Amino acid sequence: MKTLTVSVYRFDPIIDNSGRLESYSVEVNDGARILHVLHNIHDYIDPTLSYRYCCGSGQCGSCAVRVNGEPVLACMEEAQDNMVIEPLKLAVTKDLVVDLTENLGAIASLIPKAEFVMPTKEQIDRIKPLRSCIECLCCVSVCPAMDVTKFFGPIAMRQEMRLSLDPRDANDRVSEAVEEGLFTCTSCQACWKVCPKDIEIPGKAIEKLRALANRKGLTLPRHQEVAALIQSTGRSVTRSEPTFLEQVGDVIEPNGQVKGIVGFFVGCMYNMRLPKTAFDAIEVLRRNGIRVVIPKEQVCCGSPLIRTGQLAFLDSLKRRNIDAFVIRGIDTVMTMCAGCGSTLKNDYRTPFVLKDISEILTTYGIEPPARLPIKATYHDPCHLLRGQGIRDQPRSLVKMVVDLVEMPSICCGSGGGVRSGNPDEAAALGNRRGEEIKKTGADIVISSCPFCEFHISEHTDRPVKNITTVLLEGYKEKDKVS
Amino acid sequence: MHADDSLDYHVLVIGSGGAGVRAAIEASAYGDVILVSKTILGKGGCTPMAEGGYNAVLREQDSCGIHFEDTMKGGAYLNDTELVRILVAESPQRMDDLIRWGAVFDFTEANEVAQRPFGGQRFPRTCYAGDRTGHEIMTTLLERLESLSVDTLAETTVIDLLKEGDRVIGALAFDDSGEVVLIKADSTILATGGGTRVFDISTNSASGTGDGFASGYRAGAELIDMEMIQFHPTGAVYPTDARGRLVTEAVRGEGGILTNTLGERFMKQYDPERMELSTRDVVARAIATEILNGRGTENGGIYLDVTHLPRKQIETQLPVMLEQFLKFGVDIRKEPMEVGPTAHHVMGGLRISPWCQTTLLGLFACGEVAGGVHGANRLGGNALADTQVFGKRAGEAAGRSEKRIKKIDSKQIKIQEERFSRFYDGKVNPPIITKQLQKAMWDGAGIFRNATDLQATLAKVMQLSESNLRAISQRNLLECCTVQNMCLTASLICKSALLRPESRGAHVRTDVCLSHDAQHSPFSHTYVSRNRQGIERTAFV
Repeated sequence: MKTLTVSVYRFDPIIDNSGRLESYSVEVNDGARILHVLHNIHDYIDPTLSYRYCCGSGQCGSCAVRVNGEPVLACMEEAQDNMVIEPLKLAVTKDLVVDLTENLGAIASLIPKAEFVMPTKEQIDRIKPLRSCIECLCCVSVCPAMDVTKFFGPIAMRQEMRLSLDPRDANDRVSEAVEEGLFTCTSCQACWKVCPKDIEIPGKAIEKLRALANRKGLTLPRHQEVAALIQSTGRSVTRSEPTFLEQVGDVIEPNGQVKGIVGFFVGCMYNMRLPKTAFDAIEVLRRNGIRVVIPKEQVCCGSPLIRTGQLAFLDSLKRRNIDAFVIRGIDTVMTMCAGCGSTLKNDYRTPFVLKDISEILTTYGIEPPARLPIKATYHDPCHLLRGQGIRDQPRSLVKMVVDLVEMPSICCGSGGGVRSGNPDEAAALGNRRGEEIKKTGADIVISSCPFCEFHISEHTDRPVKNITTVLLEGYKEKDKVS
Repeated sequence: MHADDSLDYHVLVIGSGGAGVRAAIEASAYGDVILVSKTILGKGGCTPMAEGGYNAVLREQDSCGIHFEDTMKGGAYLNDTELVRILVAESPQRMDDLIRWGAVFDFTEANEVAQRPFGGQRFPRTCYAGDRTGHEIMTTLLERLESLSVDTLAETTVIDLLKEGDRVIGALAFDDSGEVVLIKADSTILATGGGTRVFDISTNSASGTGDGFASGYRAGAELIDMEMIQFHPTGAVYPTDARGRLVTEAVRGEGGILTNTLGERFMKQYDPERMELSTRDVVARAIATEILNGRGTENGGIYLDVTHLPRKQIETQLPVMLEQFLKFGVDIRKEPMEVGPTAHHVMGGLRISPWCQTTLLGLFACGEVAGGVHGANRLGGNALADTQVFGKRAGEAAGRSEKRIKKIDSKQIKIQEERFSRFYDGKVNPPIITKQLQKAMWDGAGIFRNATDLQATLAKVMQLSESNLRAISQRNLLECCTVQNMCLTASLICKSALLRPESRGAHVRTDVCLSHDAQHSPFSHTYVSRNRQGIERTAFV
């Protein structure tokens, strides 16, 4: 047995104006789940505590709650001391019970064709990964798009894709999905990461539906323009100034001894919109013993095409990029754009290893910069945090140079083609980020993705800087002092 | 609460598991239907938790005759033969319905529904969707239901059936805040599932509290074979608070082996021919015996091992098991599971005709709340088939019933109101009683039984059922009613167990010496109702 202290959200609409957190001390068995803590409170301390549960084994999806902010199934996750248990981010009926009706009602049902068609094993096997959904609504609870625009949500998209794969179904699921907000998803992947059944909704449903929508001519005009640009120039943005690749050498030697060698995949944004940031990164790498090889024939990674379902000439981009590094015999390719990194890691099959710049710098270790007398907050790029699982490395770098104030890791709204395709939604999400930034009281915002940096800077009065830029400022300060 | 202030439907279905939803789908062809569920629709019953599969004769090499024989033999010949004939004959058609409605069962390379071996069956006839078969069926049924015009009341719990004379004319229920809802119906279908939550260790969801047995009994229906409780051989034993959680028979179907702490594959001593795939009663007793004789683990289990199977097979055929055990710190690809018996299924229940008519006019029953289909021991894979076959039959029969004008007797309402007001003045928090009940039933009416313990347990259950339960708020009234249902169900189990002076299937009386085999038993069904109780005799005397 052990004693745990937990905080639980309480709200009774009949007597309370607003909810509050109540603290309880409970005695539970070793290995007890969150649900058992709730049982304990209900059985021995306060029988009026309301919460849902049923199967107790992760199969019915009744008991989802947020624990320390993250949605989980109460019956499956182990109870921890000092945890905060709150309802999902949906309308609260009482305590931990939320209203599920609208979201469950948004899930489409199979409509049998007049003439029955038996599916094949191949079709069944493609449907199966989308079928294990237990409708717990954890995904809905974290979806940023649903907060600011009309979107039926990840769970509904999963079902539309599942139905579109089924020969027994009569309806046009792709057009339905578009109506229900298919193009509002920012591909932040929060839904997938909280799914107790690990259903990869962004990649296996939303991007697939967008590809099907593309075949029906339903791709947004703005997304088509981007695809046309990539097809004609190999780049997702237009040239407005000399690019990074035009200015930089083929190989950049470090100042001192060579500790490591990487190929550098620059990406369209750092190459053409923020070349100065890319040069800052080069300076930091030089100072820390990394030889950087930069193939000039590299092109767009294809991320804007994959996220928006335009796959027609994707393979040629992949081939050009892979060949550019292979012919130089490079075994580690570094990205500094979160989106490119996630794409190369997850959507490519490469004969070389991929690392984000924060992985490279923390793996080899860096010379400590001078500390700058400012407070900074860090914005997790979705494609770095969830796309590549990188959380700690950027933070450890940031903390070497400034004081870090955390804020919740939520999408800024720039991804998934939303900034170009649904600018109002992107702006609404950007504004929310701006408010979070304000709450931290930070002097600057640090991030590690050109899309996030660009987008957030439009929604905050604080300067938004890349990690390497801030590190370089630390080195400059250090050099000045000595 | 006024008798006039009520809903009126042709058919009322109580329960949103596989049987209830199937019944509602069928009944909707005949008139207005309302489905009442004490949980979110489709999440409450045991159907979404059913892992292993659905038995149906689909191949030429198999036959309904063999499925019938397997089911009868597995059930120790206590099954109602007519119900079994219907089960095996109609199960394939109901599978066909599910496939037509979009179910995603696993397929073979030949694009047919795949089947796996299950305990006590001579042909691998268990259809499956990985190890989330029941969830697949439930999802399919709910999608079908949604496309029909069936009214639903979720998180609304039936407290008791309403009667007009001898006829059931609907039910009284609580909504989620404890407000009373009255529903009148020409026909009422009980599809409330089982009740093994009355045992300390159980696979059942929180809703398995025997509400249907209890409300059926109170209304005057007769129940049969309530002593027949299936203890599933393999339930999780750790962590303590989650013990009893089902470890599907599919684990053994896929090739999992059972060993004790001496490393012995002990099933060879209990059933050398069928080994791990013997019937559940046999395997559960074997495991219980090994544990009782000191060959169990520290956590009170034995080992179930699939580490010799290819990783890919475990990952694709048993994904839920893999995921659940990983959550509890065990990678079943690398180390054995620890398992022990757990109360799983009530074979007994309301006595039904082949069209699911109970002994009460206006009341039908299907699924686990009905008795007779599975005899003294249910075969794995027959319960899901049961829900579909008899769910459809109940829906059809109830749908075909006559439409009539019904009048709720206000006296019944008044009696309930008085009951509720007593709860407000009560003293004991319901969960305290629940725990005592579960412990008493596990200790005294579990796998091995004798008259002395059963009598003592019955006395304890009767004492608990008299507890002065307390409802601290209107929402808590439901808990008080549920505990009373659990006590009543437990008492029916004990009474029936005392009525059967033989060991048969899942029912083992250590104080009775057998002089007959199951096929030649002088006994047939036990029966209990408010008017009578006893045990039927057969020709073999």
